[in-house]
Formats: sequence, C-alpha cells, structure tokens
Amino acid sequence: MKIRRTFTDAALLEILRSDESPDDAIRFLYITQFDITTRYVNQNSGNDEDAQDIFQELVLVFIELVKKNKFRGESSVSTFLYALTRNIWLNELKKRNRAKLRDEKFDKQQPGTDMDVSHFIMHREMKTVLMRMVDNLGEPCKKILLAFYFDNLAMKDILLATAYDNEQVVRNKKYKCLKQLEQLIAGKPELAKNLKSVLSYE
Amino acid sequence: MNDNSTNSDLLVQYLDGELNKEQHDALQKKIQEDSALAQKLDSLRLAKDSLKSYGLKTRIHNIHAEMMQEDNNKPLVKKPGVLAKMLPYTLRIAASVLVVIGISFLYQYYSASPEKLFEENFQAFDVHESRGSVSTTLTNAYKAGDMKLVIQQYPALKNPTAEENFLGANAFLNNHQAAKAIDIFLALQQQNKNNSTHYFEEDTEYYLALAYLLNSQPQTALPILEKINHDKNHAYHKKINSWFLTRAKRFQAK
Repeated sequence: MKIRRTFTDAALLEILRSDESPDDAIRFLYITQFDITTRYVNQNSGNDEDAQDIFQELVLVFIELVKKNKFRGESSVSTFLYALTRNIWLNELKKRNRAKLRDEKFDKQQPGTDMDVSHFIMHREMKTVLMRMVDNLGEPCKKILLAFYFDNLAMKDILLATAYDNEQVVRNKKYKCLKQLEQLIAGKPELAKNLKSVLSYE
Repeated sequence: MNDNSTNSDLLVQYLDGELNKEQHDALQKKIQEDSALAQKLDSLRLAKDSLKSYGLKTRIHNIHAEMMQEDNNKPLVKKPGVLAKMLPYTLRIAASVLVVIGISFLYQYYSASPEKLFEENFQAFDVHESRGSVSTTLTNAYKAGDMKLVIQQYPALKNPTAEENFLGANAFLNNHQAAKAIDIFLALQQQNKNNSTHYFEEDTEYYLALAYLLNSQPQTALPILEKINHDKNHAYHKKINSWFLTRAKRFQAK
C-alpha cells in the first residue's frame, strides 16, 4: 500500500500558499474529500461522472482562493470544501434548468447554518474561454509559458527541456508568447474585464 | 526598438521581478502617471494569472486521472450472495480459521519484541514526484530509492530543510540506524516549533515512535503511540490500532 504525504489544515494551507508544487496537497484532497463530494452529488440528483467534474473544479477554486488569501482557515478546510461543493453543484444544477426545485430542497436540508461562499464561485464558461485562448497559443508557447509562470522553472532549466539554442532565445520566445496572449485578451475588452474579476475572486 | 516595445519589455521584466530597484521605482512612477501603461500592465498581469490558472487546471486534471486509475486498481470486495448457500460448510471453515487466528494472536503477543513490532510496521515514507518542487541532491536520491546516497549526503548539509530532515531520518531508519533517525526527527520537531510550521508533523510523530521501538525504547514510544491512537483525526490513527498498542504496552510491563 502506498503511503502518501498527509497534512494538517495549517500545513495544507501553508504549502498551497507557497511556490512549492501542490501535487501532494492535491492528492491529499483526493484521499480525504473526494468520497464526500461524490456522496453529496449522488444524493442530490447527480452521478459519479458529475462528481468527478465538480471535484476537479472544487480543488481548482479552493487552491486559487487560498493563494489569493481569501480563505485563511476561519473554518476547517473540510467544512469550507463542503460549503464550496454545495455552491458549485447548485450552480451546475441551476445551469441545467432544475434550479427552482433544487433550491427549495437545499434550503430545507440546510437551514441557514452553512457558510455563504457563493460569491467565490467563478463562471465555468469564462474559464473555458480562457483555456481555449491558452490552447490557441500552440504547444511551444504553452510549454515555455507554463514552465516559467506555473512551474516556476528557471530559464536554464527551461532551455534543457526545449530545443532552443540558448537562454536568450528562450527568453525572447517567452516574451513574444506572453505578448501574444496579452493581445488576445486585450483584444476582447469585455472578456478581459470579466476575466479579471473571475481570476481575482473579487 | 520603438517606445512601445521598450515599455512592453520593461513591463514584462517588472512583472517577472527582474528589474533592479532603480529601474523598478522609475517604472512604477511612470505607470502611475501613464494610464495606457497601467492598462498594459493590467493585461499582462491578467495573461500571467490566466497561465497560472491554466497550469493548475491541467495539473489537477492529470492527478485526477492518476487517482481514478489507482481507485480502479483496488481489489474488488466479493459480494456475499453466493456464500449464503454454502453457510454450514463456511461456518466450519470459519471456526477453524478463528482457532488459527486465535493461536496466531497469542503467538504474536507472546513472541513480540519492540524490534519485531517495528519490522512488521515500518515502510519507508513514499515521496511522489512533483514537478516544479525544489529538488535537491538528497531529495532526488530519496525519490530514486538510493538510501545509501541520502545517508552520505545528509551529514554534509549545513541547514537542511524540513523535507531533507524528514527524508534523511527515514533513510537512517530504513538502514536500522535508529538513534541517528531519532536525533533528526527531534531536530525537525524543534525546527517546526521554532518556525511555527507544521511540515511532516504527523508523519514525524509516527516514524519517531517506530524509531524508538527499533532503538529498544518502548517506554518512550508508548506516549506517542497512545496519542496517535486516541486522536481519530491523526493521519496514522488507523495504523496504531488497539492491538498494536496492546503489544507495545506489554514491552513496558516487561
């Protein structure tokens, strides 16, 4: 049996706020929370497949909120995740035009004791547009930009993982790719405005 | 290079934290005075945030696939339908099995030693590859399963990180150098205390208790084992069950 790294709430928040890889923390969330989400979704008109989608979104929202200091451990991680799950799933049901019925059902089930985290939930559609924009940059651009801005790799390490001649060439390519993405976003002012609010969780 | 291009270049460097203080302050002043420049910076920042979000989403998706794969590989629990038909026969087998288990428990109880308890339960901590994490020679050696290299490297570290301490101690424990492992685990606990951090907190408690067992110090291990057993939220609670504790207590009574 594999022994996985475990975390207290404080340690989990600490690693998610840092520049360290979140991989172990994400695995820990799967081990401790995935079944809870699956049970909840299944009990509220969803199925296992819905639960898998919702859980991925839940982890994404949770990590981004922690990184933006919007959750500082005011409640336990588990309680907060449960409240987020409910809100994300409720949003999804609303989208499926079953909102009214479910709203009433939820309200009866949870009489006002739950945390209000609905304002943290971002628009999935907006995220999808964003993903498509990054995809449209093409593989070489994506590889360099993600290595630099997500994996926090140094230029010399990115050079090793690519076929470019030297660090300056990688640096120039990174600059051009970022400009390309910036122009794609800036070219759609309405989207840019919405994205800003979505990504900052304001 | 024209002005626009120069400004964009500077803005990217500003965003990446690559400007010196003088350049940084000068550009900041310029941004405050020039709304077009401020807007450009906003767009670049948005692009950067978008990439972080994209990267995280992709990473979660990959780990999701990995976790679902593991879940599918779990052995299936047989459903009891067919067994019901064979009940009398099964009961006879069950009785025999119970007798064997009973004898086995008695044997385990009376033949146990702290070292044996350690051997039965110790499994070196499993670290998973994580892209983008800070890798050192020691952590890489540990991930590669090269415990000898970890043991060689550890004494040369001037200021080991929490992870290096934890993995170093595990390597010594894996090599049955319990006293050395205990020293490092205690140093890690002190490091966490001094820095108000919680790195590997519960993992350290569990492995420290095992190290005490291997070092023939069951009386020191027992309070830690009892703590883990009583704390239902402890990550190793299920490992330190009542049977484990009963056997550990026997050594103290000896």
